[in-house]
Amino acid sequence: MKKEKEKKQKKQRRNLQLKENIYNSPYLILILLTSLAVMVCSDEIGFGAIPEQAQIFVWDAYAKMPGKQDAAMASSEPAPEIGEDVNEVHTIQEDARQEDSMTDLEGETENAGICKEENDDILNDSGLPADDADAENAENTEEMPKGTTDFLYYEPVQIDSPYYKDAGKIALTTTYPYTKENISYFNDAAFLGDSRTLGISDYAGLEEADFYCDSGMMIFKLLEEEITYQKTGNKVDLTQVLQEKRYRKIYIMLGMNELGYGNTEMYLKKYREVLEKIREWQPGAVVYVMANLHVSREKNNFESEFNNININDKNAAAASLANGTDIFYLDANPLFTDEEGFLNAELTFDGVHLYAQHYDVWREFLLEHAVEVQDDVQEKGTEAYLENGQDENV
Amino acid sequence: MLFSSVEFLFRFLPVFMLCYLLAPAKYRNLALLAGSLVFYGVGEPYFVLLLIFSVTVNYGISKYMFWEPASPQQNRLQKGKKRRRIALWLSMFFNFGTLFVFKYWDFTAGTVNRLTGQDLMPVLRLALPLGISFYTFQMVSYQVDCYRGTIRELPGFVSFAAYVSMFPQLIAGPIVRYDEVKDRMQDRKIRLRYVENGLKLFTLGLGLKVLLANQIGTLWNTIMSAGAGNLHAAVAWLGAIAYSFQIYFDFWGYSLMAMGLGRMLGFRIPQNFDHPYVSRSISEFWRRWHITLGRWFREYVYIPMGGSRKGTGRTIWNLFVVWALTGLWHGADWNFVLWGLSFFVLLTIEKNSYGKRLEASKVLGHLYTLILIPITWVIFAITDGKQLMAYLANLFGIHQNAVLVGIPQFMRYLEEYGILLAVCVLFVTPFPIRWYDKWKDRWFVIMLLVGVFWFSVHEIMVGSNNPFLYFRF
Repeated sequence: MKKEKEKKQKKQRRNLQLKENIYNSPYLILILLTSLAVMVCSDEIGFGAIPEQAQIFVWDAYAKMPGKQDAAMASSEPAPEIGEDVNEVHTIQEDARQEDSMTDLEGETENAGICKEENDDILNDSGLPADDADAENAENTEEMPKGTTDFLYYEPVQIDSPYYKDAGKIALTTTYPYTKENISYFNDAAFLGDSRTLGISDYAGLEEADFYCDSGMMIFKLLEEEITYQKTGNKVDLTQVLQEKRYRKIYIMLGMNELGYGNTEMYLKKYREVLEKIREWQPGAVVYVMANLHVSREKNNFESEFNNININDKNAAAASLANGTDIFYLDANPLFTDEEGFLNAELTFDGVHLYAQHYDVWREFLLEHAVEVQDDVQEKGTEAYLENGQDENV
Repeated sequence: MLFSSVEFLFRFLPVFMLCYLLAPAKYRNLALLAGSLVFYGVGEPYFVLLLIFSVTVNYGISKYMFWEPASPQQNRLQKGKKRRRIALWLSMFFNFGTLFVFKYWDFTAGTVNRLTGQDLMPVLRLALPLGISFYTFQMVSYQVDCYRGTIRELPGFVSFAAYVSMFPQLIAGPIVRYDEVKDRMQDRKIRLRYVENGLKLFTLGLGLKVLLANQIGTLWNTIMSAGAGNLHAAVAWLGAIAYSFQIYFDFWGYSLMAMGLGRMLGFRIPQNFDHPYVSRSISEFWRRWHITLGRWFREYVYIPMGGSRKGTGRTIWNLFVVWALTGLWHGADWNFVLWGLSFFVLLTIEKNSYGKRLEASKVLGHLYTLILIPITWVIFAITDGKQLMAYLANLFGIHQNAVLVGIPQFMRYLEEYGILLAVCVLFVTPFPIRWYDKWKDRWFVIMLLVGVFWFSVHEIMVGSNNPFLYFRF
């Protein structure tokens, strides 16, 4: 009897102690309760999510593909083996092009089929458009030259990621008889983009162009949220600006912050939407879709979605919107990447952004890839520009 | 696994704590050891074997050191001394040998090959095992303490292995001495109160790391992205200050998290930082910055070499060795040596001339420290020699190239980071911690901490920029 009583007392004491302890641990309790709630509600923190495993799988799949890593990472300056790849898949290319043309903004009319040599020319010319090809195109369409946007095809790698797939192709700068312009070309140009465009704004010396960009900007946010107008530093509503002001050249570069958001289809859909709106608001403008720069080898990570395959996937999607008449795709990657497509380590600190002094090269690239704006449009555009130009600072 | 990651916060920690708290007292060290190996193994699936191997070898050596000879008629003391010395040398050879191969081999090979112009040593390109600098130093301290007799008896294998691999301090310190945790290794109480207080401390560290260090780190990154050599002096200084904040809150935050976790488990892990940026001299700075490392070098290198008791010349030599080694410990590159030696120069000057006066002064000492420290961090941060020189030149307004990042950018950075910089300045002073210590049990502090915790988690989820600077070492 006595023993039982003692036991009971002990138990009671222990319970009391525990209770007292719990009352004395409000912080622990709060964190535990909120954690529980968050784990139940949030997919990302909760037990439903197993992103890590999926990523490891991707990496394994990648490691198993001998030589494919190079192929996938190659920019427009491929290793010889990739050249063979291209020849092999050349027949598929025709089909693929038809598909592409369907996804094009306008449902672009068929171009004269590009023969092998032409493609080889492009290969040999570090991705910059081959002159012969230009000449041919110019002949075919006498009055209004029409550009074509080509892709470099390779065997894609299986990617198990919700964010992207391996597109199996690398988009090349739209082939077109570009003219070389001087800096005044940018006087009626607008640049829309993320932190890299901010870099162009800061360091490329384009004083006259209007820059609308923010770090972390996405195609999904471009027309939905306010954006910083770099000349004044104020936040503006781009939908309003594009309807009020007249630009004759619009450069867009977005896609880095979308690498881990949504997926490439959503990105393409939204991009198309944005371009349609821009064309509606800026009928006379030439739109340049600029390729997102690759990242460095150090920054490139196949285990996450932050890698050049994903960037290529986004770039290929964006390039498919180029129609060669008023939408052009410009890929500056060959200027800054090594033979495997990685951003050169000497050009960058963080593997993502160029050092300030290298934006000059980019500016020259843009000047060399200028499209002359048609005369009739030009006049209309100028008038409208002058009309609206006065209340620029509003 | 980072402390500031969803995997750690919402997978590892709750599961581990549950197992640990429910485990019977005598299996707790085993639970801690198993948990720590899982923690390490997730990030380093191969090097966890190296860790186990190192721990086993060190335990074997230590067992040899404590081994009593069977025949009592021999002079036990004489014999024991010799054996202990052999064991000490053996352990030094093994520990520093491993560290050398993994951390310094390529650096040495590169230097030797460059000097001789031949390929005398092959370059191995081994990956650096996470935390090897920290756990090697910890094991060396254990062996030396055994040799000196500070540790009187051989711990059990599980206790020893748990001491070395204890996950709160395994990858980035603090470098704990065995005698600091010995009692708790053998018998420690588990209290909900400890868990509560530990968790609070952990949250504080998490906040410093995620909300201050990571955020201000983007300013440094932005400035460096523009390129050293293109910076106006004002921007260069802003960058240096941003990096000084980043490295401090990063490492201090980590150490606080380690302390908090230690407390949750029933240990007391020593403090690693004591508001170093409010120091009045560089000597004082090093008494307050990374305290356990400074202590390690003092106890196991400086004092055994004679410290300051063998005349001025010898003292300067000892300081030189200590600071060259401190520099090298932080990384196998020449900029780290330069960084360490810059402290050697500063400390030698201070010791022999104006040190005392500085520490007595109210304003001058602070000013002196606050100007010099960011410069030393720039040396620390930039590995590339050319870029380092360009940045240092920029700091003093000397430019080889055109200034591309000038006053307009400076103003924009200030606008963007002004508030954050002010918060950083506030947390450099001892006031926030004093305030926290005073009110930490009040409900408003608790609510604040809950806010800090979830805000940090939110930032971890959205931000991809979340590295620990000190994991490189």
